[in-house]
Amino acid sequence: MSEPAEYFRPLRPTELRQVGRPLARTDAPGKATGSTRYGGDYTMPGMLHAKVLRSPLASARLRRIDVSKARALPGVACTFTGADLSDRLAPTDIPGQTGAKRLDTGQSILVKERVRYYGEPLALVAAETPAIAQKALDLIEYDLDALPGVYDPLEALKPESPIVQGSNNIVAQLKIRKGDLDQGFAEADRVIENSYRTQFVEHAFLEPEVGLAWVDENDVINIRVSTQVIEHFRSIADAVGVPHNKVRIMGAMVGGGFGGKEDLTVEIYLALLTRATRRPVQLVYTREESFLGHGKRHPFVMTYRTGVTKDGAITALKVTITADAGAYVFLSPYVILYALVAAPGPYRIDNLHVDATAVATNNMYTSAFRGFGAAQACVAYEAQMDEVAKALDLERMAFRRRNFLRTGDKLATDVPIESAVWTDECMTKAWEALGERTPDSVPVKVGRGVACYQQSYGRIMWLHDTSEAWVGIEVDGTVTVRSGVTDIGAGQISALGQIAAELLGVSLSDVAIYHSDSSTTPLAGTTTATRALYMTGNAVRLAASAVRERLVARSAKALRATPSQVDLANSRAFVIDDPDRWIGFKQLVALCASEGIHRSELALFRAPFTDKIDPETGRGRVHPDYTYGAHAVEVAVDTETGEVTVLKSIGAHDVGRAINPAAVAGQIEGGAAQGQGYALSEEMCYQEGRLITLSLSEYLIPTAMDVPQIESIILESRSGLGPFGAKGIGEPALIPVAPAIANAVADAIGVRVYDLPITPERIVMALRQPDSME
Amino acid sequence: MQPRRDGAPETRKTMLADFDLVIPANLTQALQILSEDATRNGHDAMPLAGGTNLLVDIRARRAAPKRLIALGKLDELRGTTIDNGRVIVGGRTTLTDVLRAPRMAEHAPSLVQSARVFGGQMVRNSATVAGNLCYGSPAADTVPPLLSLNAELTLASQAGRRVVPLNDFFLGYKQNVRRHDELVTEITWPLPPSNSANLFYKLARRKGDAITVVGLAVTLVVESGKCSCVRIALGAVAPVIKRALAAEAMLIDQALTPTLIDAAAGQAVEACEPIDDARASAEYRCHGVYVLTRRLLTQAWERLS
Repeated sequence: MSEPAEYFRPLRPTELRQVGRPLARTDAPGKATGSTRYGGDYTMPGMLHAKVLRSPLASARLRRIDVSKARALPGVACTFTGADLSDRLAPTDIPGQTGAKRLDTGQSILVKERVRYYGEPLALVAAETPAIAQKALDLIEYDLDALPGVYDPLEALKPESPIVQGSNNIVAQLKIRKGDLDQGFAEADRVIENSYRTQFVEHAFLEPEVGLAWVDENDVINIRVSTQVIEHFRSIADAVGVPHNKVRIMGAMVGGGFGGKEDLTVEIYLALLTRATRRPVQLVYTREESFLGHGKRHPFVMTYRTGVTKDGAITALKVTITADAGAYVFLSPYVILYALVAAPGPYRIDNLHVDATAVATNNMYTSAFRGFGAAQACVAYEAQMDEVAKALDLERMAFRRRNFLRTGDKLATDVPIESAVWTDECMTKAWEALGERTPDSVPVKVGRGVACYQQSYGRIMWLHDTSEAWVGIEVDGTVTVRSGVTDIGAGQISALGQIAAELLGVSLSDVAIYHSDSSTTPLAGTTTATRALYMTGNAVRLAASAVRERLVARSAKALRATPSQVDLANSRAFVIDDPDRWIGFKQLVALCASEGIHRSELALFRAPFTDKIDPETGRGRVHPDYTYGAHAVEVAVDTETGEVTVLKSIGAHDVGRAINPAAVAGQIEGGAAQGQGYALSEEMCYQEGRLITLSLSEYLIPTAMDVPQIESIILESRSGLGPFGAKGIGEPALIPVAPAIANAVADAIGVRVYDLPITPERIVMALRQPDSME
Repeated sequence: MQPRRDGAPETRKTMLADFDLVIPANLTQALQILSEDATRNGHDAMPLAGGTNLLVDIRARRAAPKRLIALGKLDELRGTTIDNGRVIVGGRTTLTDVLRAPRMAEHAPSLVQSARVFGGQMVRNSATVAGNLCYGSPAADTVPPLLSLNAELTLASQAGRRVVPLNDFFLGYKQNVRRHDELVTEITWPLPPSNSANLFYKLARRKGDAITVVGLAVTLVVESGKCSCVRIALGAVAPVIKRALAAEAMLIDQALTPTLIDAAAGQAVEACEPIDDARASAEYRCHGVYVLTRRLLTQAWERLS
């Protein structure tokens, strides 16, 4: 088992040969040629097609539901309503959470009595064809009595508001109390307070939710599903009432997750239907069903009150965050924990109060989304940094530099940062890369913005995260990696191959990777929380290193050298100082096989564990480590129409070590596009809880016409906790983009739009304010 | 387990609606089928051109035609020509065809500008200009340009042909004068004179694949330093796309000044009856009409004087 100190120890003195190269990812050819099979590409003979009936009201009582006509329709094999189900609930939370007031966080699998959000599932149908299933849905009769609902988190906190569930609408409440806030504000020359709002955001992955389930000859419920979390097999088993080892989840390559496939999606419905019919059942969401079928990014209301001296030292910060949790708990308590820790940003703030509250409403429930609460916080803290700098007439980057956390500093939760803090380096490089400033041309004004961030990688530490991986060598010298990790499009699997290839001295094409099967591949943990490379990469590193050690020992004997004199590369073992003395990898493996030397290893990587943070002060370690970086943009704003054109978009991130720089650039580019949508155009709009942006023609993600060429600047401090000093980049790449754009727009037009998305309309309204365009 | 590509039956991608598909080989056949349908009660047949609106509506269950008359084989209606001083666009011509037609940028600058920002590439490859007109969306991108060009439609049926000015084509929200037995065979307009400018601007929430918030087209002809002809067409700000006639009247026989243009832009706003929706508020749409009328008139005037 690894100790923390081991992370920093170089594995061997020679240069890396596979790690650090922009290799074509192992998943690239299949995706480029269309041969990759996604969840929906799997079918089975005799398969039934499922559909979900959803509530057309956001707050209601289900008085009656009658499926008899649907059941009588020829071709309908099975129906379910809440009445057909036991009292077992669908889990919306994971054990070990902090700060949650409620113990009961489950949700009825289907509505039994109370509808709490628009689109809440009322009934399931499985039929011979999708068309029959759709007709059957139309034949289900039900009566809903509308009930008063609450649709704004601030309203929901008022005593007269309807209670969504339980005794009050507070889902979770967390705080940080550090230093002496009053003293800090007393020392300030200026106190600047602003409120910022963010919106409901949809993940809009390419591949809507899909799954196929069947019961096999051993009575195991098998589910092939597009998911970030194959470990859900346990909660599915609990929900349908079978032992954990009787549910098997097999992933497929995932067409995007972004947190939207972190909670359960279609799994329980499929398990129920296949168990009842003993036939394979497929459930494919349309885009519209996908919009209704999974949680969104939390809208936040964030108030920042900053005390600062004339020369730009922050003396105090008070932050209040209110998050709309929607109708069910899901991951809201964790999301506000991330927001709590992220709230001060990558800055040293000695006197700090943060209060974060997640509030239940009858809106769509909110849960994980790339950035997980820390993204929203960055929207506010980086806007606030610019606003404070402007109020004090300080240069924006100089003001940031004055207050940056530096390597060796402590976090807001009063614990030391484990790795290098290169925020300044990243900001400087991103800004420099903007190059020559594009001139204004009436009525277009050009502006620039930068935003910096601190984003965790790895799960919350008191969740006691582990990851397993198996690495073995076949007798022909090829390498097999087995890991339960799901690949959601970021190259998670390919990176594991690169790590194994590096340590065993073979090329990436010699490595085969088996993944995403809860029964046959070692459980890697979730592909969430920017943890896949950190956790599973380390597990593969440990497993491959163990095998490597045995190969090196045996080859040293064959080469009449000591193990420290031998290296593995180019499919051979050789003496480092005399490379002509070598033995072929295949020959070496055959030697090991004939002598019974163990050619495989199952390794467990364990993240450092801690206890929960102090509930009164927030003091303690929450995450294993953090990634730091910056994004800089240049925008052109049409001051008459309010249209924004992003001209330049540059991300600079210290990723510790880029296992595959091309994959890292892919993350930065994807983050830049997604962040641009967050800033400018994306919003899930609900009216009294009812979704009105029903499709991708109303929910506006950026197109190729909207996104400029993105420049990725990769810095490598080699100080991360991941394999070879890597940090995580999955979530971090997104975090600073929206605030950088918001800051650039404010720079262009001289007035700030405090609410996302910054639509043309909001810009026009802001420009109409009397103090604008000074 | 059988992956679908290995020959398992394709059962999933149904449209979830039943309809008959009729594929006439030519215009005569198509008009005959429509005529037969019109003589029966029901008018249950719907011509299907690019399908970029209709198929979406069927899938969303907003439309449920019993028969679709697919016009895909009517190549005789596809293409653009110049005849007798008029530009002629066939009823089956796609947006991509318009973009690829030689010299269209001179013959209909505003139409080309709108075609460039019409949907996405796949939509442009499939969607037809006539379909865009007939569907009658208030946000249709080809309508303001064609109104500004004073276009006319030829409607053909078994009974004969008639020519309808585009200005008289629309009756109300998604309603027009086309009878069930008619097809649009041609869209025509006079070649713009050299002393004219013809501009279009699409204001939308994003640059690609967006539904228009305000679409505005302007044609201006200047003779002897004065505006001899002006047409301002306003899209997405009323149940039907229409001309800003009162604003146009203010400009006729005038030399355009910033003050006059400003007043005309204000007048154009008076013609708007916009709605609030998920894309924009009515107020912003009016603002857009004001800004864009002013901008396009100014650009047109500067170009010609």
